[in-house]
Amino acid sequence: MLMHFKLAWRNIWRKPRRTLITCSAIVFAVVAAIAMQSINRGSYEAMIERMVSFSTGHLQLQDYRYEDESSLDNAFPIDQTTLELVRSADERIEHVVPRLETFMLAANEEYTRGAILLGIDTDKEHRFNTIRNHLTEGRFFEPDEQAVVLTQGLSSRLQLGVGDTLILIGQGRFGMSASGLFTITGLLEHPIREMNTQAVYMPLKTAQGLLSAENHLTALLISPQRERHTEQVAASIREVFADSELVVFTWPELMPELLELMELDLAGPRFITAILYVVIGFGFLGTVLTMTLERIREFGMLLSIGMSRGRLVGVVFLETFLISCLGVLSGMALAWLILRLADPIRLSGNAALALMDLGFEPVLPMSFALDQFLMQGLYVFFMAMLASLYPLVTIFRLNILDASRK
Amino acid sequence: MPIVQTENLTKVYNPETVPVHALRNVSITIDTGEFTSIVGPSGSGKTTLLNMIGGLDKPTSGTVLVDGVNVTRLKDRQLINFRLKNIGFVFQHFNLIPVFTARENVSFIMLLQKKDKKEMRQRTDELLEAVGLGSLKDARPREMSGGQQQRVAVARALASRPRFILADEPTASLDTRAAMNLLDIMLRMNHEEQVTFIFSTHDQRVIDRARRVITMVDGIVEADEHRK
Repeated sequence: MLMHFKLAWRNIWRKPRRTLITCSAIVFAVVAAIAMQSINRGSYEAMIERMVSFSTGHLQLQDYRYEDESSLDNAFPIDQTTLELVRSADERIEHVVPRLETFMLAANEEYTRGAILLGIDTDKEHRFNTIRNHLTEGRFFEPDEQAVVLTQGLSSRLQLGVGDTLILIGQGRFGMSASGLFTITGLLEHPIREMNTQAVYMPLKTAQGLLSAENHLTALLISPQRERHTEQVAASIREVFADSELVVFTWPELMPELLELMELDLAGPRFITAILYVVIGFGFLGTVLTMTLERIREFGMLLSIGMSRGRLVGVVFLETFLISCLGVLSGMALAWLILRLADPIRLSGNAALALMDLGFEPVLPMSFALDQFLMQGLYVFFMAMLASLYPLVTIFRLNILDASRK
Repeated sequence: MPIVQTENLTKVYNPETVPVHALRNVSITIDTGEFTSIVGPSGSGKTTLLNMIGGLDKPTSGTVLVDGVNVTRLKDRQLINFRLKNIGFVFQHFNLIPVFTARENVSFIMLLQKKDKKEMRQRTDELLEAVGLGSLKDARPREMSGGQQQRVAVARALASRPRFILADEPTASLDTRAAMNLLDIMLRMNHEEQVTFIFSTHDQRVIDRARRVITMVDGIVEADEHRK
């Protein structure tokens, strides 16, 4: 095996310039493909991370009726036993965050706007996400305070500031009237654009009192230590609550439209990558073709002296494999280096303004997801397999005498 | 004891269109330890005969028995294995593996035979010493002269301890001194290792030193001369 490897390795360096050009083409394709994917995925990962942290959580435990009818009537009772059951379902659970959420009307003396009321447990919420860091003015409320934190968009619309009073009017559980006056203790710039014009944060206990939903939640947000454990943790919780009215949803189930959008948006770069690989593939095939044709006589000699066709095919395949490996590994390393140096790309000018208008930070974060690196390796390996079909067929059909006359 | 026997060996190229009779009912017997030269003008069929004996080509009719085995009936994979075990080849244009050193070229054939590493190393060194290339073991073909490359080719052919060696015009690409040197080595190996040599040639220097000369003309054995 060592001798065969040695033979293949030395063969690819017979024409070093050709090998280097072929490798460079592969390196270029891999770097371009990874960079394209990394920028796209990086933006989406950042978006998903924002949505998961500030909106849905990685997992949500809800009443099974809540998904179809997001009403307080479908809130579920929460007690210490339920919380313990959730916590003990899987040791990889890191955060369990209660939420009570409903639509209400928010008003000042003159104007009324629609709002999303979020009853939160400040301690748990602050351990789970960085919403506190988005305060632009004032402070977050104490757990039992009759107070709210308002998002900037909503405060501008209602022309209210810190220290003013917000009126909330709506409906509590089972048609109970829900209204009250609340002091605004702080304003925040919400990281999710849609939420920035609607969200009102309130202490959980206060919200439960306002909405006649004492000891009830609309959702329990659950977060595993690592994002990749989401599905496994979901399965563990499903098992624990199999016979109850509570169901678990993962974030892709909660935001299917976001995933669809992401898939749609990634189709473009994937198509360009495919074209890139087809072009590189033909270049690679050209190299393999030349390598094969100029060695027909040598192949004939090797078969004459007793090397089996299978072994010879193995050596030639190893050559194409080694060239592609060299290209892929160098490409991966170079792509990683470039992305590390460039991460994140800070935009300026009109591009930055356009992103800020959409509620995003004017930066393009990179994704360093391992799979996007490994997939390139797989594609090029597949390409090498296809390219090596030519020498494979040639060797199996080779007539030794014809070869010796070349 | 016969090592090679051909019986009514006939080879016709293009039988359907313009038939070319390369061999016509050739029947010869070569015994173990012979140093046989097959001679004749170009197109006389000597290379075709060598190819038939080496299992590189199939006859139109007739049989080739090598050590009692009818090689014309062997399938491709069996033939490759048969050649590996029984036949050593020396080509006119040396045909060494260009990326391997002299040592690696010689040991490669033993590697294909899955020989023990220690035995492989020992045999390689012995053979390279025997052909006078002890100091060029690590040289690659491009660093050697034609004569030196052909001596490596002889060492490679001997490495697998074949039943016989087929050499197609082994001296055709060599100058007189290198050719004589190669012939000395081949004769010594024939004498010392009892290896049978069968070679095609029209080089008079080779013919003069052969102990048996088979002369072919138009695909027919015209003369078969045994010398002392």
